[in-house]
Order: sequence, then structure tokens, then C-alpha cells
Amino acid sequence: MSPSAQAPIRHDFNPYTENGGTILAIAGADFAVIAGDTRQSEGYNIQTRYAPKVFRLTDKAVLAVNGFAADGNMFVKKVKQRLEWYRHAHAKDMPLHAIARLIQTMLYAKRFFPYYVYNILGGIEEDGTGAVYSFDPVGSYEREACRAAGAAQSLVQPFLDNQIYFKNQQAAPGSPHPAHLPLNQVLALVTDSFTSATERHIEVGDGLEIYIVLAKGRNSNELESLKGVAEVTTASEAIATGERLFVLRRELKKD
Amino acid sequence: MNFSSHSTMNPMAWGNLREDAYPEPFGAYSHNQGVKPRADAFTDGVQRTQQPIVTGTSVLAIKYKDGIMMAADNLASYGSLARFKDIQRLHAVGDYTVIGAGGDMSDFQYLQQILDDLMVEEFAAEDGHPLGPAEIYEYLSQIMYGRRSKINPLWNSLLVGGFKDGKRFLGYVDLLGTTYTASTLATGYGAYIAQPLLRKAVEGREDTLTEEEAREIIKESMKVLYYRDARSLNKFQIATITEKGAVISESMSSETIWAFAEGIRGYGAQTS
Amino acid sequence: MNSIASRFASTSASAAISRDEEENQVAASMWGSTGGFGNLGQVGIPSFEIPRVPDPTNFLRMHTDDRNDPSCRIKIQHGTTTLAFRFQGGIIVAVDSRATAGSYIASGTVKKVIEINKYLLGTMAGGAADCQYWETYLGIQCRLHELRNRERISVAAASKYLSNLVYGYKGMGLSMGTMIAGWDKTGPALFYVDSDGQRLKGDLFSVGSGSTFAYGVLDAGYRWDLSEEEAQELGRRAIYAAGHRDAFSGNTVNLYHVKEDGWKFIGNYDVTTLHYEGPGNVPGAVPGGYGYDVRTEGLHSRGAATVA
Repeated sequence: MSPSAQAPIRHDFNPYTENGGTILAIAGADFAVIAGDTRQSEGYNIQTRYAPKVFRLTDKAVLAVNGFAADGNMFVKKVKQRLEWYRHAHAKDMPLHAIARLIQTMLYAKRFFPYYVYNILGGIEEDGTGAVYSFDPVGSYEREACRAAGAAQSLVQPFLDNQIYFKNQQAAPGSPHPAHLPLNQVLALVTDSFTSATERHIEVGDGLEIYIVLAKGRNSNELESLKGVAEVTTASEAIATGERLFVLRRELKKD
Repeated sequence: MNFSSHSTMNPMAWGNLREDAYPEPFGAYSHNQGVKPRADAFTDGVQRTQQPIVTGTSVLAIKYKDGIMMAADNLASYGSLARFKDIQRLHAVGDYTVIGAGGDMSDFQYLQQILDDLMVEEFAAEDGHPLGPAEIYEYLSQIMYGRRSKINPLWNSLLVGGFKDGKRFLGYVDLLGTTYTASTLATGYGAYIAQPLLRKAVEGREDTLTEEEAREIIKESMKVLYYRDARSLNKFQIATITEKGAVISESMSSETIWAFAEGIRGYGAQTS
Repeated sequence: MNSIASRFASTSASAAISRDEEENQVAASMWGSTGGFGNLGQVGIPSFEIPRVPDPTNFLRMHTDDRNDPSCRIKIQHGTTTLAFRFQGGIIVAVDSRATAGSYIASGTVKKVIEINKYLLGTMAGGAADCQYWETYLGIQCRLHELRNRERISVAAASKYLSNLVYGYKGMGLSMGTMIAGWDKTGPALFYVDSDGQRLKGDLFSVGSGSTFAYGVLDAGYRWDLSEEEAQELGRRAIYAAGHRDAFSGNTVNLYHVKEDGWKFIGNYDVTTLHYEGPGNVPGAVPGGYGYDVRTEGLHSRGAATVA
């Protein structure tokens, strides 16, 4: 049927789109890992193979955003601005749990015109533990040990449930499941999550960016031996509290 | 299983192959198909671009050894009518930047005004910190996102190319405020037809491609687009932005061969 | 009229302009010496950005309501079972922990009991963010009440504050069905408050998609005279029943007990474990699983090892 034979359709402007990709974060005992792929797409079009979705907020807080890229970038920009104001007012970086609450209020402020963004915040808490906070688009949040979001959430999260929370796994008698995994194992799980999601989801691929936050005093031996790792700790000496931040970049398949 | 029908009813279908069997970038066809506003133009007090009217098609851009090369044809369409055949869709902003626009041409002219005003302010300030392509791109992106957030978008897809302080810059921004950078970019149908050709020719060779090679790649892509994009024109301009500044060429055209059409039913003069 | 509701009164150009001026203002409280703490508690009601379309409510519904349109992008979490009841020994509050977005289980570890303060609990059903945000906000107002009046706010007043608050947003798309439970001068008090503006005082409530299953268990086992152990077991058993029969509820049970000296967290129980093994050695619980044992006792097909 030709379009003109149909009843007129009012073409309302839709201010949202979906830009694909997947993000993920895992908390360890004294570290946190926050990762995301770098593909940005719309429908079947790959717009670019390198658009970061994971951002350093402070030396102990990293934010991953996924959903509508324009909203995501704007939201990160506004969070960073609020954190800078906080730094000027208090001569220190905002603690992680406070950033989490800030993000809730900032998301909820747009309750009636939401940011179409799924946020995952990872980092080190004031007590030195690794933490992950996950948010819905209008600001409900929860502290968790691990969380995947985005296009391949439904592929990655069940894998994490099984490998991190040991869901549906029976512990061998006498050796209960560990509460936290060591860093090298977590990094292996993150890499496997993304290579597998790349195989089975068209919106995931191109590149992988993994941020690693280490608690104060924790050794970085596991990272030194890896290639492609760069330290990006940048807080001035006046406000640094000992956490260290690293980025690990990996290629993903580009088809 | 059903792969395509899930969102044909979705009003979000703009410029998206998955949403529509025959994508018309900028939805340019729909205004002469009986789509009428609910009431007269003054009902809401303010007019918004809910639909583009006079539209431009693709813009292409690539990185090469000496800087950025961009191209756009000279056509502004009114639906399927080739209405204006001598408009410029490449526009220099200051000495280091060129922007290229697809989509609604009146919205593009509005943006040109804003950016020209900005450059006048810049000139007057004379502070020794001229705005480079990165700054202009950021400014433009904020305008575009700001307008989409007022549900009153500027109906364009824009490319920003530039060269300043020895650095090349190439970025995309559209009516939703979506932004990205890459070594090859294309808007509208160019994203479907030219982008694969550009990527194949450019990726990995950004630092070795000469201006002559870049020009060949761009010209070839513009020709392919002209063959297949019914809203294009074989009259286009090429801009280069290098250390020497921004240069927008005179209009030119490609050699085309239509002899093959003779043998194709529906293309030539056959009547049955 | 509420300042936000009044924005809907007109779509004229002048209304559009006044909307322009209200938006995107950076309050002084966002930086300077209070930088980062925002302005909660200092002004009446925080302000929200409204999309500039003729019908903002419809705009929100178009993009967020997954019950009418499963393909819409912004999924708001739905599906829940929550319950609370008053009895001789205080108030039992029990909830499940599942969050669903369409048919996807978005989380199995949601905290649906919101600890407003030491004496007040709120439950979460409907929009997770709506409940979390406004009950946190209620907590701030309750604290301010304490500071101003040198005494704790009553449960009736707190729940009415919330009720009046959400009524101001009626029709704009908020979704919450909550129970406010606490202990004040009058003893244990329980109120149901929802986003339609309804507020009910009562002895027993259950809210959410699994509430019918919970009510079944609750009504069969409820007495005012329940011992504390019996009451806790009833709450646990009722959420288990909903988790078992309602696809949108499940994962784990969170159990709270409100007494004169404030609330106490009793425990977190896995629904599957409750089904096969029961809550373990807790006071008031009958040994054995809630579901498995009663269905398989005496069956030949049951594993030989468990046949007596």
C-alpha cells in the first residue's frame, strides 16, 4: 500500500535513541573493576568504533554509562561538574557512597523527562572496600558485588551470577565458595564476558576499556605484568587518599 | 520469528533502516502526503521544526595526511522536487573549521548565523585564544542537545572538520545531540552507501594518504552517491582544512556513464 | 495549585516562557560552602524538569510505560510482593527482593524495605526510584520535624506528609504503593499510601502483584494474639507463597519487626531454600521445607534416602 493511501500519521519528534554497547562492573575485597566496550551504534549502523562509555570521576570513583549516548555524555559532564564544585568547597574528593546518592538525586530531578541512561558506579568506599552501585534511569540504586547493563545485559549478567555469586553451583565439601575473587580472575571474567557478548550480540564489539581501582596500599603486582595497562591516577597530592587507578585496553572483534 | 515489524509503528523511525523498508533520510517525503498540522500554525504560539521541509542530503568527510577533506553537493530538495541547485552546504567557521550539513536547510542557515555571530564576538575579543574545531564542535553539540531537550530540534546531521595546532579534528553531531568522532564520517544516505567505501580506503592510512589520493576517494564516493541517491546532485564542493587554512572549492561534477541503462528494463525508454 | 501542576494549566506562549525561566537554574546551594549537598530540606519541594510538549504526562507514558508498550525504551521496574501487619507484639514487615523489567529479572537483591529512620519503615512497590527517593525525602522531613518540635513525628503525620506530597504529582506518572509502619506515642501504627493519593489506616495490608497470594496465607493464619515468633513465621510464609506462585515476585524474603524501641531486621531468606528446607532453626518455624516436604511426604518417587 502506498503511504498516501494510509491515514495521515503524525510524526512526533522522539528525543531518544539507543546507541548499543554494554557495560559491567565487579567489586573485589579491595578493588573494583569497571568496564565497557567502545562501539557506538544506531540500528544496524556502527557510528564509531571508539566512543568511551567508562569515565574517571575521581581516583576512587569510575562511572560507566549506557543507553542514549547524548544523554550519557551530558549526564557524565554534569556529575563531573558537581564533583568539581564539591572539591572547591571541601578540598577533598567526594566519597563514593555520596557520589552514588548525588547520582540518584540528579537522575530523579529528571523523573518526568528522564535521562535514558543506565549507570554503574564502581570504586573504593571510605572503609577501603571495593564497591559497585547500579542505577535505573530515574535513580533507584543499590550497592551490589557485580552488575552488567546495556545491550548484552541478558547475556552477561547470568554468566556473572554463575561465576561471581556461584549461582546454581554446589560447593565442594569442606571448601565453601569465596566471598570475593582475586583481581586476575575478575579481569579474566570481564574479558570473557565481552569477547562472548561480542560473538553473540551485534551491538557489542570493536574495543574494550577496563578501569581498575585499587584501594590504598594494595599492591599492583597483577597489573604490572599485563600489557596495555596504564596508570591514570591524577589527584593532586593535597587531596589524594592513596587509591590508584588503572586503565586496561583490549581489542574486540570488529565484525 | 519476526525481525522487522517490532517497531514499524514506532514514531522513532527517522533515518533508520531497521525501522522502515525504504528509509528517507530526514523524512523529507512526508510533507506533501497529506500530513497536516492539527490546527493552524498559530495554535501553539510557537512554530517548531517537527519535520524538515527543504533538505540537503549526505555530507562526507575523511582524515588524510595533511588534514581533513569534506564534500557535499549543492542541492536543496523540497520533498522529491530538486528545488534549489546552487546552495552551499559547506560553511567555514573561522580560520580552522568547516561544518557541513544535511537535513533542514533553514535550520542550517540559523546555525550559520549563530556561528558567524560567535566568530564576530571572537574577533572582537582579540584575546589570543581563537576557537578551534574542538571548541566549535562542543558548542554546536550543546546547541543541538539543548534544542532536542526542548523538544524543538534543529533538524540536521552535521559534520565538523578542522585543523589547528598541527591536529586534525573530525566529528559528527545530529538533531538528537548524538556525537561521535572517527577517521571517516558520512551523514544521511552517505552513512549507508559511502561510509563503507571511505572506511575501506582510509582506515589505517590516515597519516599517509596524500591530498590527491584523498580527493580521488571523495570524488569516487560522491559519484557512487549520485548514482544511487535520488535526492543528490552531480554538482558538489570539496573542502580541505589543513595547516594552510580552510578552503572550500568551486562546484565541480563527476564524469558519469549511463550507457548501461539502455539494457535495463525500467531504467531506459522501454514501454513494455 | 502546586507549582508543577500549574505548568500544565496552559500551553500558551507566556506559559512556555515562564517555564523557560524556571529551568536550568543553578542554585547557590550546589556550590560554595554547601557544594555537593544540594538543597534538600532547605526548600519546600525539589524542582523537576518537565518536557516541553503539549501533554507531558502522555510523553512520559509513551517512553516509560512497559505495560502498554513492551518495546518502549525506558523500563521502569514493576512487580513485587510486600506485606505488613499489626499484632499484639508490634508490626511485622516482610517483602520479596525481585525487580523485573518486562520478563527480564533485573535484580534479585532489591531492598524493598526502606529504613526511613530508627522507628519508621517504608515498603516499596511500583516504581523503585519513586519509592526510594520520596521515602528518603520523607526521612529528611521527619528529622526536621524532630528538630523543630523536640519530639518524634507520629506515623499518622509522616504517612500523611507522604500522601499529600505524592498527591501533588497526581496524574503525572508517579507509581508507588507503600506501607508506612512505625511505633509512636499511640503504639504500633500502620498506614497504606499510594500514588493515587489514597491513604488508609489498618491492621493488615499486602501490596503488589503477588499480594493476593500473600493475603491468602495471611488471612488463614492471622490473629491479634500471635506470638512474636508466630507472627514472624507468618510474614515469612506469606512472602514465600507469593514468591512461589507469582512470576514477578521471588528470589529472597526480607523480614523486619517493629517494636517499641524501633525496628529490627530479622533476616533474609532464599525462597528456593524456604521451599525445600524451610527457614532453618528459627523460632516459630515448623521443621522442613514450606513446599517440598508437604507435597512429597509418603510418595514412592521421592528419593529413597529420605523415605523413613
